[in-house]
Amino acid sequence: MHGLFTPDFDLASANQPAADTRRASSIHVENLHRSFGADVALDGISLTVNPGEFFTLLGPSGCGKTTLLRLLAGLDEPDTGRIEMGGAAMAGVPPHQRSVNTVFQSYALFPHRDVRGNIAFGLEMRSWSASRVEGKINEIAGLIGIFDLLDRRVDQLSGGQRQRVALARALVNEPDVLLLDEPLSALDAGLRSRLQVELKRLQRQLGMTFVFVTHDQEEAMVMSDRIAVFNQGRVIQIGTPQEIYEQPHEQFVAQFMGHQNFVPITGRDEFGIDTLLGHFAGQFNPGDLLLLRPEALRLNTSSHESCHSFMANVDECLYRGGLTEYRLISGGLSLVAMAANQGGASYQPGERVEVTVSPSGMATLYH
Amino acid sequence: MSGKNLERSLRGFWFALMMFLYAPLAVVVLFSFNSINSSARFAGFSLEWYEKLFANDAIISALVNTLVLAASSSVLAVIIGGLLGYGLYRYRRWRMGWLIWLIYLPVIMPDIVFGIAEMTFFVSLHDLFGLFKPGLSTMIIAHVTFQVPFVALLVNARLLSLDPQLFEACNDLYANPWQRARFFIFPVLWPAVLSSVLLALTLSIDDFVISFFTAGPDSTTLPIYIWSAIKKGVTPEVNAIATLMIGSVFIAALMSLFIHRRSVQKDRT
Amino acid sequence: MKIAQPTRLLRDSGHLLLTVAPGALCIVAFLVLPSLYLMGMAFLSNGPYGLPTLPLSLQAFRELAGFGFLGWSPGNLYTLLRSVWQTLLATVLVILIAYPSAYYIASRPSRYRALLLLAVVVPSWTNQVIRSVGWMNLFAPGTPVSNLAAALGFTAPPMGLFPSQFAVIVGLVYNFLPFMVLPLYAAFERLDFTQIEAAQDLFARPFAVFWHAVLPQTLPGLMAGTVLVAIPAFGMYVVTELLGGGKASMIGNLVARQFAQASNWPLGAAGALIMIVVTLIGLRVLRQLGRRLGGDREVVL
Repeated sequence: MHGLFTPDFDLASANQPAADTRRASSIHVENLHRSFGADVALDGISLTVNPGEFFTLLGPSGCGKTTLLRLLAGLDEPDTGRIEMGGAAMAGVPPHQRSVNTVFQSYALFPHRDVRGNIAFGLEMRSWSASRVEGKINEIAGLIGIFDLLDRRVDQLSGGQRQRVALARALVNEPDVLLLDEPLSALDAGLRSRLQVELKRLQRQLGMTFVFVTHDQEEAMVMSDRIAVFNQGRVIQIGTPQEIYEQPHEQFVAQFMGHQNFVPITGRDEFGIDTLLGHFAGQFNPGDLLLLRPEALRLNTSSHESCHSFMANVDECLYRGGLTEYRLISGGLSLVAMAANQGGASYQPGERVEVTVSPSGMATLYH
Repeated sequence: MSGKNLERSLRGFWFALMMFLYAPLAVVVLFSFNSINSSARFAGFSLEWYEKLFANDAIISALVNTLVLAASSSVLAVIIGGLLGYGLYRYRRWRMGWLIWLIYLPVIMPDIVFGIAEMTFFVSLHDLFGLFKPGLSTMIIAHVTFQVPFVALLVNARLLSLDPQLFEACNDLYANPWQRARFFIFPVLWPAVLSSVLLALTLSIDDFVISFFTAGPDSTTLPIYIWSAIKKGVTPEVNAIATLMIGSVFIAALMSLFIHRRSVQKDRT
Repeated sequence: MKIAQPTRLLRDSGHLLLTVAPGALCIVAFLVLPSLYLMGMAFLSNGPYGLPTLPLSLQAFRELAGFGFLGWSPGNLYTLLRSVWQTLLATVLVILIAYPSAYYIASRPSRYRALLLLAVVVPSWTNQVIRSVGWMNLFAPGTPVSNLAAALGFTAPPMGLFPSQFAVIVGLVYNFLPFMVLPLYAAFERLDFTQIEAAQDLFARPFAVFWHAVLPQTLPGLMAGTVLVAIPAFGMYVVTELLGGGKASMIGNLVARQFAQASNWPLGAAGALIMIVVTLIGLRVLRQLGRRLGGDREVVL
């Protein structure tokens, strides 16, 4: 598989944001509303994307993230609210006048044109001369590694190849903002993970603002600088992947990120909180649920760093290669713990274990 | 052009299109009720021309001819065309390209060539063998010939839309070919058959050119009558006949809409 | 396999014959044969009363090209050229009107589409004579439309808008619009809308969006519609006769005239032969298209 580097590229500078960020735009969205009849797709969305940032819109299907993307592209107009890109208001500006390009979920390649013709499309629309177009296509083909595909027809391409052509077609126009609408969802798992890394590297190298839409939380965490979690037309939380995963504000966000250990908080005092698993000492943020990360639950270890321990029965033991997943039952709750397989003890269903929780593995949140 | 502007222009365009499509028909209907003999000025509402119409023997006999022609040709066409459509479907894996050619031929042949060919053919046959005196019989034959392809294609299309395994299911459930025909094929086909009948009727009633060239001295149909009348100028009487024919077309349209709705509902279950 | 199946094959063939023969025989006996007979007539000479007689000759074709008793006159050629021109003009106008119409219908909620399609198609279910009568009413001298045209300077005041070439074109467009709307609508239903958005996203202005994203996708429907409009339009008789009154006659009128007043059957047959040839070419094109679309056969009602 060809890499992303042009022949004389310097590996060291690949991981630094490109010096030339003047083309990357900020995006500012304020109080956007968009409804389709009785269906409210966006219910007062406000957020800001920084120049050169890889920003992901994450949420289940139907939550409004694709609608927002289309508003940014200019393919739809909001009912109320403001959109600004690079400081300029975008109201009433049609898509062909915005410096924004989109990689569509279904790629939307033109079947009657070959790969070269597809990539050249945006440049042709802006009346570039044939020689300039030729040069630019070669440049982007080298960057994305699709030189040998240039003369093929669209129906001769595999899914991964089409995805790259769609990417090239958008990038060749050097937009201020690149929008990607679940571009990897049609690909198989192996290809998907490889392309996730490639896209992230590409974005770093180009220093372009990317707005990425996905419903896969792992994908979002791998690729993003920041994530906005959407549900039912609203932004629930915005933050870095680490913030979203370790400090979700609401149960919806936590569940969406794959968490399962929710412990109801039954009371508070000046020393800590009361829960169904007992009393946890320490300072806790407001909220009515305690979230325990699976990797923070240690079995039968004595550790200084603990603010609580409790007894649990092992219900299931699932071997996952590098990790073992344990299903535990305690206090009427079903909990998940992950233990690295490094030659330590393993526990069988039916055994009783002592579970300690490391303080950094907890967060409080709302229902 | 933004989305909203496009939408507004489209709606305006559609409105204009509807005006264009229905203005001539509306004018015919309007002037059939004109109280004076003019197509330029509407003076007042009157049923005078309709009264004259029903008192006119020539028109009544033309009407009868039209209906007899349409009914008999449609019945024949549905039988012959239905069999053809079924045969097309049943043997669709056999190579019968020539048959498709043959079926499309009447559909696409210009009606003037069709009509003249029939005329010269029948005239020659009559001269040589005394068969087929130009009249209702020749008209029926000609009409059936151009109706059969439409029926065949309609029936074939309906059969193609069925799950082929339904036929096998019938066999699996002990139905012999006649039972399968009676309890499965006919019930499932009957909307298509009904549509074909309607289509054949409208095709026949609508036809002018072919009827004109295959008609005999006393087998004038309504369209032929209108044609001769027009040569002397458009009169409200002509408009009145035309209005009645337009009315019957609208009824046929409503019926076909109804049938379409019913079959769509049935397919959903 | 084959050896064990002969009776099955025989039975199937018999069954096939039973179902297909009546229809096929009907068409062969009452269309193919008469057409062949008519085409043969084109190669006979013009006898007394205009009926065809031996000897065989190509005189009819020469007359079609204009070589009559008095030397060469361009009248017939004008008629042929006019047929082509009027067909072309009418077809282009039909395309221009049908595109937005089909798009409009395809962009409505699906429960309305059957009704909208019907609305477009129903006028073509009326008799073509009646349709022409409608336009004759509208275009007669003294009607609001005619008066408007006169006021705008398009016609001299006492004349109506018919009989005229304009009225014929209007009549042709009116007749054939549904035959273009239906195939285009079918193409629009299957349209990949994301290609339109991609074109917009890639800086294409509205016309370029149509040209690069809509047209290529609707091309099969457009081709089918063109054949279904142009071929019958070329042979149109009623509309030209009624709305043109001799000023806009096309080949169909020329042919008909030979079997009525002018009485020259071979000449008429020669003209009919030309029309048949054009029709067969059109039919072949339609079949090629049908094969290219993967066995899709558009049934035009």
